[in-house]
Amino acid sequence: MRNPLAEGLHLPRTPDPCALVIFGASGDLTRRKLLPAIYSLAVRDLLPERFAIVGVARTEETDAEFRSRMKGAVRELGRDRLDEKVWKRLADGMHYLATDFAADRGEDALVALLAKLDEQRGTAGNRVFYLAVPPGAISTLVEELGSRRGERQGWTRLIVEKPFGSDRSSARRLNREIQQYFREREIFRIDHYLGKETVQNMLALRFANGIFEPIWNRQFVDHVEITVAESIGIEGRAAFYESAGAIRDVFQNHLLQLVALTAMEPPIDFSSESVRNEKVKVLRAIRPPGARRVVRGQYGRGHVEGRQVPGYREEPGVGRRSSTDTFVAAKLYVDNWRWAGTPFYVRVGKRMPKRETTISIQFKRAPHPPFAREASEGVSPNVLLVHIQPDEGVSLGVGAKVPGQGMTLRTVHMDFLYGGAFRTELPEAYERLVLDCLLGDATLFTRSDEVDEQWRLVDSIVASWKRSRTAFPNYDAGTWGPRAAEELVRRDGREWRRR
Amino acid sequence: MAQTLKDTSVAEIESWLDGQRDHQEPSQRTSVATHMAWVPGEWWDAAERVVRALGDRVPSRTLLLRPEPEAAPDGFDASIVLERFSGGREGVCAEIVTIHLRGSTAEAPASVVVPLQLPDLPVFLRWRGRPPFGRPRFEQLVGAADRLIVDSREWDRLPSGYAKLAESFDRVAVSDLAWARTLPWRAPLADLWPGIRQATTLQVVGPRADAVLLRAWLQTRLGRTFRLSHAEGPKLTRVEVDGKALRPARGLPTTPGDLLSAELESFVRDPVYEAAVRSV
Repeated sequence: MRNPLAEGLHLPRTPDPCALVIFGASGDLTRRKLLPAIYSLAVRDLLPERFAIVGVARTEETDAEFRSRMKGAVRELGRDRLDEKVWKRLADGMHYLATDFAADRGEDALVALLAKLDEQRGTAGNRVFYLAVPPGAISTLVEELGSRRGERQGWTRLIVEKPFGSDRSSARRLNREIQQYFREREIFRIDHYLGKETVQNMLALRFANGIFEPIWNRQFVDHVEITVAESIGIEGRAAFYESAGAIRDVFQNHLLQLVALTAMEPPIDFSSESVRNEKVKVLRAIRPPGARRVVRGQYGRGHVEGRQVPGYREEPGVGRRSSTDTFVAAKLYVDNWRWAGTPFYVRVGKRMPKRETTISIQFKRAPHPPFAREASEGVSPNVLLVHIQPDEGVSLGVGAKVPGQGMTLRTVHMDFLYGGAFRTELPEAYERLVLDCLLGDATLFTRSDEVDEQWRLVDSIVASWKRSRTAFPNYDAGTWGPRAAEELVRRDGREWRRR
Repeated sequence: MAQTLKDTSVAEIESWLDGQRDHQEPSQRTSVATHMAWVPGEWWDAAERVVRALGDRVPSRTLLLRPEPEAAPDGFDASIVLERFSGGREGVCAEIVTIHLRGSTAEAPASVVVPLQLPDLPVFLRWRGRPPFGRPRFEQLVGAADRLIVDSREWDRLPSGYAKLAESFDRVAVSDLAWARTLPWRAPLADLWPGIRQATTLQVVGPRADAVLLRAWLQTRLGRTFRLSHAEGPKLTRVEVDGKALRPARGLPTTPGDLLSAELESFVRDPVYEAAVRSV
């Protein structure tokens, strides 16, 4: 019999008691993103009452030192001012374990500590293991954690940071290793872009507004443009970036997820499986672009925001003859009924003139504008811009009459900016994603078949690069990429959107 | 930015607001609702505090109606404040229009506020104190609103008043802040299912409205009667079932501004509340 008292109780989602174990606790991600996010959840009373954090890393550190370092991180990088009372509540359940899982019996110490926390903090045997570690360390951790699963009660969830593999076969191998011990619904592959409010707003925009869906297709849309531009360089991450490049760092995950969210069919509901089923259908429908439809680039020396910056090959740790890509542009086709023949122009790059992530839906021209040609020269076809970052919001470009005699037209923008409608600061992506994982909601995490399809596309692109080499550097820092990227669009009679 | 308009007109108020929109920052402005509030003198300070706490969360046009039926001549004065809140990139702007309704105008408030409502946006009516059910000023404003928000804690002679309120349910969606304040306690009560079917007594320390509503809710949901043992208090601090104390749920709105803000985001009728009120 259903509980009649539960009807109509709209309560905030509260996670079960649990312990969050962060592997890689001495790393940058923990300091810059995870702890500030967890603290923000604590401020908003969104963490379970019975909760503990265990930081695990090889660096020697005591509990007190770990707490102190994390407190500094929250103070420096958190979006909320540090409240001593909130911090104390969080820090009381915070521990650190210095160990190397590959070399010693670190898992024994961890198991003992977690058992103690179950008793002392009431974490009920529930565990979230956050693998904020380099890809090479994941297998060992998964095996150690997985092989001890049977020894306790409670649920287990595993968060795996990107990159998930370095190609399709390594991703499949990693999936197999993890799935040997963990079920798919216990695995949370994180792509922090999906935690951004504005990315989720894409779903709201499309499926909560009746006016867009009827025109969201090849009949009305001329093309789609997605730009993920960063003005920064590699910020000291040469070791990672040399093996990844823009194609694995951003294109394989963030960019293809944005394509999937833009092109997907309406899910039957907002459950994790329904949403991910629709996304994976889009990824499957993307035709691997041939070499002619992909442009790769690497930045040389140039100016960004008035400051001279070095070329990629001059960055510390990068080889003088490096052929790593820092820019990728492509023309993609989604071969399904909705999008057949509609190009998706996409590009990702470092050292662009500014930081910007935008999805632009360019509609077809009005079929027969009844105005004199001169009058309507200032009018562009309608464009719907979804600003992911910065200037989070949505703009619609429409033609309007310029006031005065005659009929002169001009494009104007109707804007919705998050900052003008909601004072509430947008939560950091990691807040949303960590909370969702604690709640067991995988909607905003990537499923294994999505990862597989993403790598299928990337592998095909990388394979074509092996057949033909590009002379690098081929664009100056502070520009929108190589000339070939302009030509990729221009030969279709189009232009990248002016920024 | 503020302006006081003596013995004014709707057109004059609109003109001043439009002028601000044209010439003042932030140029990007989004409003999500019209929020009308009927605020007799004794509620004035409390209402002002809530409105200021609210503006940054729910950018809206707020029409604070202050009835002054003894004042002469008939007509109205307005004071207008554009409240800007930093945060976000552009900042949020709320328009707060305080209208002093003099003389008989206080009995015909809809004629003043309806033209000032923002088009196509939901209209909320917060009625401070016990509504004068059946009187023109109340009926007119309810007719101009999508949602009526009351706080039955502010009513005297409880539980009388609930029956009259129930008569409004088919005309307008109703929120009761007293009901909203019971939510942290309804959650642990629901957790007692199915054992609570055998319970007989509900003990409540807090305002009478909260106690009455909690018992009515239990009775309508479970289809049986509960004996209520009530001790008056300014806040709902203790709820027990057959002597067993409950712990309230965390993370729910508690301040007046938060509570009202949450109700301003609600657009549908609450059948569970309506059933409870009808049973009182």
